[in-house]
Amino acid sequence: MVGERDPNGDGQGGHRTDGAGRGRGGTDGDDRERAQTDGETEERERFEDVDWDAIDADGKRLTLTRLAALAVGVVYALALAFDLFVAGDDPTVDVALDVPWQPAASTVVWDVTAVDWLFVATLLVGGFALVPLARNSRLREYYWRRFRRHTPAVLSVWYLLGIFLFGTVGTLFVEQPGLNLAAAYQPPVFASVDASVPTECVGPVVDGRCHGTWEYPLGTTGEGKGLLTLAMFGMRVSMQVGLIATLLSIAIATFVGTTAAYAGGWIDEALMRYVDVQQTFPTFFLFLFLAYLYGGSLFVLIVIFGVTGWGGIARIVRSEALQRREELYVEAARASGASTLSVVRRHVVPNVSNSIVTAATLNIPFLVLSEAALSFIGLGDVTLPSWGQTIAAGRGDLATAWWISTVPGLFLFATILAFNFLGDALRDALDPRQEV
Amino acid sequence: MGLKRYTASRVAWAGVVAGVILTVTFVLLELAPDAQLARVQFQAAASGGNAEAAAEAYAQRRGLDGPLWERYLDYLANLATGDWGWSDTRSQPVSEAILTALPYSLLYTVPAVLVSTVLGVAIGLYSAFNQYTKTDYAATFVAFFGISIPNFWFGIVLLLLFAVHLGWVPVLFDAELARTRTFSLANARQLVLPVFVLATSAIAGTMRYTRAEALEYVRATFVKTARAKGASERRILARHVLRPTLVPLSTILVGDLLGVVLSASYLVEVVFGIPGLGRLSLDAIRRQDTALVLGTTLVPVFVAVIGNLLQDLAYAVLDPRIDYGDR
Repeated sequence: MVGERDPNGDGQGGHRTDGAGRGRGGTDGDDRERAQTDGETEERERFEDVDWDAIDADGKRLTLTRLAALAVGVVYALALAFDLFVAGDDPTVDVALDVPWQPAASTVVWDVTAVDWLFVATLLVGGFALVPLARNSRLREYYWRRFRRHTPAVLSVWYLLGIFLFGTVGTLFVEQPGLNLAAAYQPPVFASVDASVPTECVGPVVDGRCHGTWEYPLGTTGEGKGLLTLAMFGMRVSMQVGLIATLLSIAIATFVGTTAAYAGGWIDEALMRYVDVQQTFPTFFLFLFLAYLYGGSLFVLIVIFGVTGWGGIARIVRSEALQRREELYVEAARASGASTLSVVRRHVVPNVSNSIVTAATLNIPFLVLSEAALSFIGLGDVTLPSWGQTIAAGRGDLATAWWISTVPGLFLFATILAFNFLGDALRDALDPRQEV
Repeated sequence: MGLKRYTASRVAWAGVVAGVILTVTFVLLELAPDAQLARVQFQAAASGGNAEAAAEAYAQRRGLDGPLWERYLDYLANLATGDWGWSDTRSQPVSEAILTALPYSLLYTVPAVLVSTVLGVAIGLYSAFNQYTKTDYAATFVAFFGISIPNFWFGIVLLLLFAVHLGWVPVLFDAELARTRTFSLANARQLVLPVFVLATSAIAGTMRYTRAEALEYVRATFVKTARAKGASERRILARHVLRPTLVPLSTILVGDLLGVVLSASYLVEVVFGIPGLGRLSLDAIRRQDTALVLGTTLVPVFVAVIGNLLQDLAYAVLDPRIDYGDR
């Protein structure tokens, strides 16, 4: 259970922070480009020609993106209020839909949990964070060119995209696997097992061996739950844990890191000392202790990992922000009267975002693994079909039904591997100084 | 600031951290609902007694009736003097239960740490010297494999393969054997898989860090100078690259390795059925033995605090360039 931490992640930066090869083709160009396209000029503008008033006005103007963000935020708040005050303990969504290809009207019942709310918020924030990248095709192509060189990472992205879609959209259309003892211990399709293992073989029995069927492509557990559906719901749990907790961490880390770098003095000292203490305290044991005292749930797990796991990222942000503070463009912005807040928001945070993204991507596999480990030892959320729980459930049947523990384990392994490949490639693509 | 003052300040800092952790755990314990108190009250009410009187008697018996600060001081004093409370489920002092379990954990963690450190550093160095060759890619792949494979699942798969199907190693851990004949072949055989599983996850981190750090020096001017002056490759490796690499590595090795080993021990012990610290802790959690839960989660936390302290000191001793005032 190792979080690949940046070897350079301690605040001092050490000997690695020489400026050699700091070719950041990134977000500096972003501002310039926007200034150009907004001004609708044909010839290339010089720095002196930039209309700073227009850019300042742009900062306050209600753009389409901001309008969309505002609308989404309002809808989100209203829906949350509805769930809290109107629906109460009842399911949030409970409607009957007439589906043409099914005889009876299928009902959609979805009690949106606290974790679901957080997850939706995370996806919205993530979506809006990608808007600048989506609008700037030159930047997009630059990063894609650098990223494409890593074949495993490109494969990882497609795999993770699949996992993400199956886990979020897919689980909406699939029912949670239920108890079905008649279909217990079915082997995966193309595999066979001695006919005495399953109580009843769903597929054909040839020469005393039960063969798997397409009804349960990955086999079933001892309770007759299809492993494919279990794996899909496991995808949702893993994505929720990884993404929500990481977003929480990033938000806190960015805030603390930039505050420490800009406030300096005793604030910096106090914040970094706090990070020291927090880093010493292993999150795993904190969760163990809290889960014991107050009972563990997925929500508690996510919050604990999000609220205590930002120390390393905060140090990276702080050391990067300290470097950015000395840059000439920051000096220029200051000289033209920009407030500290706007310098941090417009110049520092966008320019350290590369490091943040990389650190975040490497944080996700650690979280996914931790969640699986905790549900494996029975301290996670027992009500949720997570991968770790399914692996634990299959342990007793290893000798007869090998697929129960193996299938979710393979998904878990592949997901963590993919995130690690992705993080490594992003480090190469986004931060040319690091050569690991 | 001299080395002595630096050491003193680091030790003092470790003390502060320990104090913070103890205070946090005390507050958490105070705020938690007491399952046992509820049980006592329910029993009293069910047998026709007075629930409140029973609660009071319970509080008095457990020493919970004094003012908060008094209890806090008692709590600190008890922990400091090694009186970690009484384990109800095991009917023995918590410290005794921990000391019985600890050797079983050490049996597989110590070899795993040794193996992963030696191999990790060696492979990392080799990889750095042969950057972008096939062997380097192979080593990188091994590292990714080690980081990514969930060690509890890996343990299960290995057990399935080597114990259930091939029968090379026993499926169940024999604690009696481990206690009486610690240095026997039979004991080594039952420890092979836990050590291997733990080492694969620890080796990967060490290897990646070693490679990254060593790469800094492989192309450094002083290495070129040494090579131009005719120093043998072996001397360059040992003196000019390995030595400076070990400095930042020492910080990672102590801190990260410790974290990996401590949390992994829970999983490894569950999978292989080793009655060590992790199993003790989990059993305590399942059976609601609060004193034992507290003890078994505080031990690794304090090990981590001490590990961090040692890492700071090692850093200062090993690297003469470190400015003591800075860290």
